[in-house]
Amino acid sequence: MPDIFISEEPKKENLKPEPHLSESPKTKTQKGKFSGPTHNPLAAFCYYPENINFETKEFKEKVVLLLRQHPITNVKWILIAILMILAPIVLGAFPILSFLPSNFQFIAVLIWYLVTTAFVIQSFLTWFFNVYIITDERIVDIDFYSLIYKEVSDANIDKIQDVTYKMGGVVRTLFNYGDVLIQTASEVPNFEFLAVPKPDQVAKILQDLRIEEEQEKLEGRIR
Amino acid sequence: MATIPLLGISVWLIAKIFVLLGLVIYFVFALVVVRQVQLMTDTLEVGFEFPIRVLSWAHLIFAAGVFLIALVIL
Repeated sequence: MPDIFISEEPKKENLKPEPHLSESPKTKTQKGKFSGPTHNPLAAFCYYPENINFETKEFKEKVVLLLRQHPITNVKWILIAILMILAPIVLGAFPILSFLPSNFQFIAVLIWYLVTTAFVIQSFLTWFFNVYIITDERIVDIDFYSLIYKEVSDANIDKIQDVTYKMGGVVRTLFNYGDVLIQTASEVPNFEFLAVPKPDQVAKILQDLRIEEEQEKLEGRIR
Repeated sequence: MATIPLLGISVWLIAKIFVLLGLVIYFVFALVVVRQVQLMTDTLEVGFEFPIRVLSWAHLIFAAGVFLIALVIL
């Protein structure tokens, strides 16, 4: 019997499955999708960072993105620290401490530098340990408020309800950083990723992960 | 040397005690920094733990050094 209708062969390229975000990028295209340094431990935007581990990380969990505040946010405390370092040298020209004996003057300068060191350490550690982690399963917000107070909160990707990002102001536009606000249905209703680089890409990654999580749910591949 | 009337104690001796007391408190703070850095590097490992621990220990040694110098020269 002659064929009345023969359907076209589906194009092979359409059958290619989309790479999952939860899998580490293998191809150049995947790696280059969201550019950013991944090996530098001081980087503010690490896409698929290597050798990252955090307290509550599960065995199979993969870190997709590690974020810190944009390095430009450090300029303020660095300038203050430079002024603090230079202050005794500059103020040495003025007899401010002349009422003190010379040994007290020397200790006063040492104490000043001790306080400067504490200021530098505190400012650096606050920036360094204040991180936002996006894994293939959840988002983790590690807040290091001061040297004696920290807070760690997390929410599953499927609990994310809304992602908003905002950028405003000259400096933020110039250096491409802003805030990403995430509303969740978990115990912590709001996650704020403040002053993170490339907020648009962060929002895109979160969106991709949400879609992937929904797909996993539909396919029954939930871990 | 300036002394407090009636008590006959040197003003600078009292100042020294206060400075040393302040430095002891600072030393405790430096210890807290070391402990907190230890806890934070356990919470988050990014491959930069060693320099940060060295920094916190250097700060502690600096605080101890200033205390000892103040004890000797004041």
